Amino acid sequence: MKDIQHILRMAGVFVVVISGFLLVRHLLVPASFGLYGHYRAAAIDDIKALPISFVGQKECAKCHGPRVQEKNKGGHRNLGCETCHGALAAHAAAPAKSRPVRVAEKDMRAFCERCHAASFSRPAKFPQINPDAHNPGAACNSCHNPHSPRL
Amino acid sequence: MDPLMNELAEALNKVVGFIYPNEVELQWSILIVLYPYITGLVAGAFILASLERVFNVEAVRPTYRLSLLTALSFLIIAPLPLNVHLGQPQRAYEIFMTPHFSSAMAMFGFVYAWYLSAVLLLEVWFDYRKEIVMWSQTEKVWHKRIFYKVLTLGVTNISPASLKIDDKIGRAITVVGLPSAVLLHGYVGFIFGSVKANPWWSTPLMPVIFLFSAMASGIAAVMLLYMFLTWARGKAIDMLCIDTIGKFLLTAVIISFTLEMLETIQKAYEAQEHFDILALLMEGKLYLSMIVVQGIMGALIPMFLLGLVQLVKLPDNVRKTFYSAASVLILIGIFAMRWNVVIGGQFFSKSLMGFTTYKMALAGREGLFSAVVIAVLPFIILSVLLYLLPPWKDEGRSGKGGVA
Amino acid sequence: MKIKMKPITRRQFFKTVAGSVVSFAALLASAPRAFAEKFFHEPPWLTKSPYWGMAIAVDNCIGCGKCVEACKTENDVPRQPYFFRTWVERYMIHRSGETKVESPNGGMDGFPPIKKSGDMMRSFFVPKMCNHCENSPCEQVCPVGASFRTQDGVVLIDRKYCIGCRYCIQACPYGCRYFHPKLHVADKCTLCYHRITRGLKPACVEACPNGARIFGDLSNPESPVSKFIENNTVQVLKPAMGTRPKLVYRGLDREVR
Repeated sequence: MKDIQHILRMAGVFVVVISGFLLVRHLLVPASFGLYGHYRAAAIDDIKALPISFVGQKECAKCHGPRVQEKNKGGHRNLGCETCHGALAAHAAAPAKSRPVRVAEKDMRAFCERCHAASFSRPAKFPQINPDAHNPGAACNSCHNPHSPRL
Repeated sequence: MDPLMNELAEALNKVVGFIYPNEVELQWSILIVLYPYITGLVAGAFILASLERVFNVEAVRPTYRLSLLTALSFLIIAPLPLNVHLGQPQRAYEIFMTPHFSSAMAMFGFVYAWYLSAVLLLEVWFDYRKEIVMWSQTEKVWHKRIFYKVLTLGVTNISPASLKIDDKIGRAITVVGLPSAVLLHGYVGFIFGSVKANPWWSTPLMPVIFLFSAMASGIAAVMLLYMFLTWARGKAIDMLCIDTIGKFLLTAVIISFTLEMLETIQKAYEAQEHFDILALLMEGKLYLSMIVVQGIMGALIPMFLLGLVQLVKLPDNVRKTFYSAASVLILIGIFAMRWNVVIGGQFFSKSLMGFTTYKMALAGREGLFSAVVIAVLPFIILSVLLYLLPPWKDEGRSGKGGVA
Repeated sequence: MKIKMKPITRRQFFKTVAGSVVSFAALLASAPRAFAEKFFHEPPWLTKSPYWGMAIAVDNCIGCGKCVEACKTENDVPRQPYFFRTWVERYMIHRSGETKVESPNGGMDGFPPIKKSGDMMRSFFVPKMCNHCENSPCEQVCPVGASFRTQDGVVLIDRKYCIGCRYCIQACPYGCRYFHPKLHVADKCTLCYHRITRGLKPACVEACPNGARIFGDLSNPESPVSKFIENNTVQVLKPAMGTRPKLVYRGLDREVR
């Protein structure tokens, strides 16, 4: 016994350290960890609670019904309002305080060409124009109604 | 402007071909090059120590304790580059609290803890216990005396029976320690080798390649330290000892080089889709660091020097020069190998269509200065350990430690 | 070291060998079915509902980049050109065999229009995003459990738990993860989890003007994504990686990586 006393003491050190570790672990591991898998279940709630910026056209229709209906009959029916007018959650919550994006006349050309300038990379069946031949310089909405673009 | 954004803007300008937009930023820096290098030195030094204990290679006995202390010094520092690199280092404890068992990185935490406590610390303790008890009673310097007293755990029995038990246990620990050392550095290799997304890293050979190059670097490090410290102490270098170490060093380098060549040749032969970009990588960005530094300087020239010693009878001082030169070259070459794996693997895009760049920052958490400080720390710890636990029995104990 | 051997009789030896052969044969005989069961991955959406999926119609993408812009706005993604949860690539395939690929600012500002010139054969856009793999390597390598897949199929990151080791970013074969420069944790597409759990569509799907992005509940055979998979020839990126991506494509060209 005397000759292994030091070994027993060292074993004791190990036991103390490992027990200490297990105790600390019990205190530090988040409560919701492991509920559904190897992760902190509360993280899901954290992520669900993140703020929303885009509301979708159903929300726009609540105030702008006729406009939305007009859009949905025309060539831009597959576009959400926010595709052109920017994120509108803030505007839907406080219409006077937060204003939607309205493309200025001088920027109209570049704005529409972003989708409609003819490019070999775009699917051929997609409506595109050659900007240099198609009323060059003229603002697109001088002929086309953005909410019902076909002439 | 934000230094990171400046760095990334420069990198974006230097992109060649096509990379996924998120790949402009290199994720793992010089610190992650340093980490496998350091753990490699640990494994290598320990395996040299175990040569004497387990395989009874008496010739290397003069380096036994030095190898253990070297391994311990580097092992203590090994997690430091990892923690410094983390985005949230204050949460690092989570690896031990909720380790994800499928993650090689998580399991490495436990392999490390096992190796540090159950292997290295215990082995040092059992090997030194007799002296520790003696020093705890005779040491004049008070802080050293307290250190020894604590380490005795209050037990002063150093009867022959107890020492015999110590020796048996020490031997058993070394036997367990060998596979543990293999596991330690093999795991680091596996951390890279198991990443199927990266064709430069993904290979079953990675743990083995890492292990043998680790052995080469660890043995080279102990060889250099032994030669330097012996010279510093004004003693004569044990030629049989370093001749034997030289043989093992040569073996390690040959195996390491062979495995790396096998890897490269097989990849070239199979010529899978990813090979084209890897060939461009080796011919281009990695030409200097891989072909010249890792291959020629770090493997071929040392193999020539160490091999010549085996084939031709050379005088003592020539052999000493060869061993020193070979060890220095190997240490540089193995560092280059870690660089080529870690940084090289991030140069090319996973789209296999382009390259990004890495400009190592000088300052900052992940800069060169930080890496140098971390690389120097193990030597500081080693000098403290040599002071507290002098390895050479013929030395007087108080004050001098193992260094003149 | 000497190995002590116990003497055994010839009878015992043959009994042992026979027993081993019989058990091994039984194991082999049962193996094909055991194997087949082991390697068949039953789609989780047969038992779990909802189970979110996503599809991309490459031949509908016009490269406007509105999806990239919408994602960055909705999810507060850093605006610099090094961090994307989704991006668009343009491929230009030449008769010479050369394929040029580009993604300027991830396609967020659109792409300069090009004309068919020289030996250009084909050109098209490919939107990319997180594939929300069923066997995701990013989840596998996370050391702490900050990268996980929800019960409804979305691979998410726990920002409060991630230690920022960046292993997941290395492990993703698709390049869809990045390191958040301000939060110092890993980040990626969440399939707009905060939206889809409220009955909304992901922001990129909402923004797309030409129906290139399709989202829905895979457990519902009538959902847009289920119909898309039923009615189209679909591919996934890097199938050989074994990640089992849930993002499917229609129209993926052989050049696309």
